[in-house]
Amino acid sequence: MVTESEEGRRDFLLLATSAVGAAGVAGAAWPFIKSWSPSSDVLSQATTEVDISSLAEGQMITVPWQGKPVFVVHRTVTQIELARKDDTKSLPDPAKDADRVKRPEFLVLLALCPHLGCVPQPIGTGNYGGFLCPCHGSHYDTSGRIRQGPSPRNLQVPYYEFKDEKTLVIGKATV
Amino acid sequence: MNIMTTRGRDERAGQTMRLGARVKPAGVWVVVLGLLAVLLPRGGVASEAMHLPKQNWPFVGVFGQFDNAALKRGVQVTVQVCMACHSLKYIKFDRLRQFGFTEQEVKAFAESQGRTKKDAMLSGMDPVLAKDSFGVVPPDLSLITKARKGYEDYVFGILTGYASESDVALARQVMADGHAADGEVREVAATLHLDPNHPEKIAETLKRIADGGNFNKYFPGHFLAMPQPLMDGAVVYADGTENSKVQMARDVVTFLAWAAEPTQTERKALGFNVLLYLVVFTLMLYALKRRIWARVH
Amino acid sequence: MSKIMEWVDARLPVTALLKSQATEYPTPKNLNYWWNFGSLALFVLIIMIASGLFLAMHYKADANQSFDVVEHIMRDVHFGWLLRYLHANGASFFFVVVYIHILRGMYYGSYRKPREILWWFGVTLFLIMMGTAFMGYVLPWGQMSYWGAAVITNLMSAIPLIGEDLVVWIWGGFAVGDPTLNRFFALHFLLPLVIFGLAILHLWALHAVHSNNPVGIDLDEEKDCIPFHPYYTIKDLYGMGVFLIVFCAVVFFVPNLFLEPDNYIPANPMQTPAHIVPEWYFLPFYAILRSIDFLGPFSKLAGVVAMIGAIAILFILPFLDRSPVRCFRYRPLSRQLFWIFVVDCFLLGWVGYNPADAVTLDGALPLTVVGRTGTAIYFGYFVLLWVITAFDIEKHSPVPKSI
Ligand code: HEM
Ligand code: FES
Repeated sequence: MVTESEEGRRDFLLLATSAVGAAGVAGAAWPFIKSWSPSSDVLSQATTEVDISSLAEGQMITVPWQGKPVFVVHRTVTQIELARKDDTKSLPDPAKDADRVKRPEFLVLLALCPHLGCVPQPIGTGNYGGFLCPCHGSHYDTSGRIRQGPSPRNLQVPYYEFKDEKTLVIGKATV
Repeated sequence: MNIMTTRGRDERAGQTMRLGARVKPAGVWVVVLGLLAVLLPRGGVASEAMHLPKQNWPFVGVFGQFDNAALKRGVQVTVQVCMACHSLKYIKFDRLRQFGFTEQEVKAFAESQGRTKKDAMLSGMDPVLAKDSFGVVPPDLSLITKARKGYEDYVFGILTGYASESDVALARQVMADGHAADGEVREVAATLHLDPNHPEKIAETLKRIADGGNFNKYFPGHFLAMPQPLMDGAVVYADGTENSKVQMARDVVTFLAWAAEPTQTERKALGFNVLLYLVVFTLMLYALKRRIWARVH
Repeated sequence: MSKIMEWVDARLPVTALLKSQATEYPTPKNLNYWWNFGSLALFVLIIMIASGLFLAMHYKADANQSFDVVEHIMRDVHFGWLLRYLHANGASFFFVVVYIHILRGMYYGSYRKPREILWWFGVTLFLIMMGTAFMGYVLPWGQMSYWGAAVITNLMSAIPLIGEDLVVWIWGGFAVGDPTLNRFFALHFLLPLVIFGLAILHLWALHAVHSNNPVGIDLDEEKDCIPFHPYYTIKDLYGMGVFLIVFCAVVFFVPNLFLEPDNYIPANPMQTPAHIVPEWYFLPFYAILRSIDFLGPFSKLAGVVAMIGAIAILFILPFLDRSPVRCFRYRPLSRQLFWIFVVDCFLLGWVGYNPADAVTLDGALPLTVVGRTGTAIYFGYFVLLWVITAFDIEKHSPVPKSI
């Protein structure tokens, strides 16, 4: 026969075993959940290296970074001045040009319109000499700031570094 | 209550007796099975290739670990020797940095094959050219230690199992004589692990060796397209380790074993924790089961 | 909480169902540990479906990509190696568990009246499992995948008249190839769900007639049975714990134990590996297939028929066994036959593993002879079981009236 104190011990045992079991089930679920995270070969695509030595003043290129388009613009002196002049204007999403570039001659922008995700047209389009998004008419200036149209925010500047004089690295390495 | 216990005991005694009666024929069959297991598999077909000597690999086993220095040396041999012909398509050069190579070193490895550091470790040799000169495309090595019976021991066996220079010289001499003294033939047959009961086969093998065939003790069929890749001194180790053939073979197999499954270290570490957990949890379940069933017994 | 359950129960009697079929479901109190393997099989099925589903999220069925994709899963996907090793070894353990489960049923006479339908669901489950495992093994598209698929699909060509066309239809081409791989993947995804459905029918059939027990007699529900919960919930959980220890030891420490090295070589339709073998769980049947080699042009068809017959005969087992007693404990002759049968299965497995032209005992015994003998013993079991029970040759020992 089972005595009462034994029953009590079992209740503790039951609780402890249930707790350990529940922890085990949660732990076993983790690998399945984690398997959805970007795999290491995808992560190794986290950065894109761009050779900017052959990018002449006034030229821009579109490079793929993490599967999305990025504009790398070698701005002319006029374009830089235009961007700086408007720093003091009242802007929908205020930002200084100096805070949006690491080297003034190179403007790096994630080329996805914050409105609904279209790719804007190259520099020199729209009412501000910058980028015009054709989808719903958002106008960005030569710093990629929103000036007119439905977009709520400036074109985003992705994380980037100049590895040396001629190499631009977009994105942060994740290993 | 007392009566109940007694009856319980009687019942159990009865059960043990029945169990005994039941176990006997079962036991006999277990013995028969065991005998079969011992006797039969030895029979089999006479295996084509030599029995592989077992090597002692520190990275094998539950607690096995890779030796980083050996891995680095293995990379050096792989890039400088093996990759003249073979690729490792599932490993990128960049990944070698995890063994402590600098970016410059990795770049140099990649450039030696005409690649960049972000590329997979593909051989500089054109596969079409390779097929022309060897008759086959050299197999990719990324999975080689998992893809052959004998695993690491097999790859090590192949790298160290070629006929030595003196074996080749002897074979030439025997062929030049036209006829071979019995003793000589038995001597070569023994060093090359050939079956002494088939003299015609030995003669044929010696002829092929003399004609420059690549004889290997451990390769099924003995003659393979790959000439002996490793000789003493083939690579000058950056860390100054003695560069004997055996040392290089050990190092390169170590690296290839890593390359075949780079996740194996993670696997074993996790496995250790999982098993620890399972043993504790199962013991708790057992205790609970005993308590609950105490009400029935 | 109870309010919600009341609301639900008024519309769908969940509580009552759980009570009658799970918590208070009357279960014989004398079940031994061999009765754990049913719930274990369900547990392994769930592991297979979970790991398979997550593998399928990364896998691509494409003759040019599948091998690389499996390596991508092994190397790049977080815990991808775990998913794959759980799945690949899970298949082996599934068969271990199910074979024990079947042999348990054969020893204790669980296929006898009134459990015939329950038994048939079981044999069907086993058949579909074999098909599922076969098609799954093709998916990594290694050398063994390819040549296994080639050999097994070619068996169909033994069927008179339509065989050759049938094989081409199954392949969707002139050889095993991309279309074959694609359809096998679709079926490999579907069949486990069919297995799951059948398992529920299997359980339904069980609960309609209740469990057999080690004594093999009909029990008094009041006296001899206990509620399923907590007694068998805890016993089954404990069994799963022990199972997981063994399973995880293999998955984490010797995960390639059951895998052939050749399957780490990409499929090559131009070159067959020197020695192709099916997965271990098919070996006895493979041996039976090969053992019929003495009928000249009819050998191929006869071999296929024998192999299918080896499983089909399980369907009529309930009618072959005529003994008045279910359990083999009290049937000395049947028991001897049973153990001969078990050993024979191992023997056939060993024959299936070795090359067809192998010899043993220093050449004295060609393997084909062992294979034929093994096949004869396999079928002999069923015939003799019928003979000794139908003609009252077996005298059973006294069977207890109660447990
Ligand atoms: C009865 C249950 C199942 C059995 C017996 C089974 C068996 C197998 C086997 C033997 C393999 C080959 C393993 C290897 O050597 O790599 C395999 C692979 C695979 N199975 Fe299953 N499986 C089952 C359920 C499922 C389910 C439910 C899914 C998907 C929902 C699935 C998806 C896959 C995939 C994607 C592969 C290829 C990946 C690989 O080769 O590792 N399986 N299966
Ligand atoms: S998406 Fe660019 S304006 Fe709407």
